Amino acid sequence: MKVAISSSGTDLGSNVDPRFGRCPYFIIYDTSNDNFEVVNNQGRQAMGGAGIQAAQLVIDSKADAVISGNIGPNSYHVFSSASIKVYSGVSGTIEEAINKLKKGELKETSSPDVSSHFGTGPNWNN
Amino acid sequence: MIISVASGKGGTGKTTVAVSLAMARGYCNFMDYDVEAPNASFFLKPDIKNEQTVTMKQPYFLTETGADFKKCAEFCHFNAVAVAGKEVIFFPELCHGCGGCLLVGPEGSVMEKDVEVGKIRKGKADPGISFFMGDLKPGYMRTITIQSEMDKLIEHDKIVIIDCPPGTSCPMVFSLKDSDYCVLVTEPTPYGLNDLDLSIEVLKSMKIPYGVIINRDGIGDGKVEEYCNKNNIKILLKIPNDMGIARNYSRGVSLVEYDNSWAGKFNKILDFIEKEAV
Ligand code: SF4
Repeated sequence: MKVAISSSGTDLGSNVDPRFGRCPYFIIYDTSNDNFEVVNNQGRQAMGGAGIQAAQLVIDSKADAVISGNIGPNSYHVFSSASIKVYSGVSGTIEEAINKLKKGELKETSSPDVSSHFGTGPNWNN
Repeated sequence: MIISVASGKGGTGKTTVAVSLAMARGYCNFMDYDVEAPNASFFLKPDIKNEQTVTMKQPYFLTETGADFKKCAEFCHFNAVAVAGKEVIFFPELCHGCGGCLLVGPEGSVMEKDVEVGKIRKGKADPGISFFMGDLKPGYMRTITIQSEMDKLIEHDKIVIIDCPPGTSCPMVFSLKDSDYCVLVTEPTPYGLNDLDLSIEVLKSMKIPYGVIINRDGIGDGKVEEYCNKNNIKILLKIPNDMGIARNYSRGVSLVEYDNSWAGKFNKILDFIEKEAV
């Protein structure tokens, strides 16, 4: 299974980024062979709809699931239409998140957990 | 003649001033361009007789054709479209109606329809005021679509008072663009001064003459007045920080109705603008 994880960095030791739409990178991890690729989140500077653009990126990467800190209603809506599993509220490193996923310790999210525009304000300028 | 009433920050008394100018003079147009939060009707109590729906063109997608709509998602600058396989997920609030989907999408599979983004309400208020208010549909960011429809309703042979949206972003600039004069309302506080300064920057670059009304005079400090004097900016009026004014305001009673002596003061401002400033 392929999973897309919002990441603050480009390796497995990086932290899961709490922002879905405006994270700097996505790590696309294939649990069947433990390979991964890093994708730049080009939409993070979008004026609006960054979450939708990022969700499109996840769909295009052929991921079956997505892991992030927080996922807003627009992105969530796209994922449920595309039948992509959502695991949000996840923190720690990418590696820890993948291990939890493999052990079945992550719980699927059944509704968006932040409102639109989470992850935009002045504190998110890194 | 178009006189707009603006303020760099919300809650300074912009609407109070706009309404008082209109009531003091009467027989004018009153345009509430603050379409995200129109509230002048609370004071003017117009009898709304007529409503006009404002629409924009938005795409819809004939997914049953089995066409690939990927190009629409790639093209949309506002991220209003996502595509998952043969499914299209469309976010109408984000769509600016640019027509791009129709251009780049699969031929014959993208159509357009009119979608309501808000309303313009029209009515009469005393004395003899033709009242117009824009009312944006929640979630839609089509402020300027509504304002530009309102522009067409202006009776140019009359005095026109425009209640602008607060701030200095596009909707404020758009409201001001045809003004002969702008009345800036501010408070004598550091916030007020900062936002006044920003508004003045906008007016200068638009080459619109302006004057300042200081509301809640007595609170804060004297920096706004100092700033105006130093920069040769006309202070049109000072409205004191008065419990009676505030209490009546909260009940929808304007300054002019509360105390008729204000009608004279506001009329004087209009005289000044007509004779000297424009
Ligand atoms: S019409 Fe323009 S703004 Fe609307 S969804 Fe299509 S590309 Fe985006």
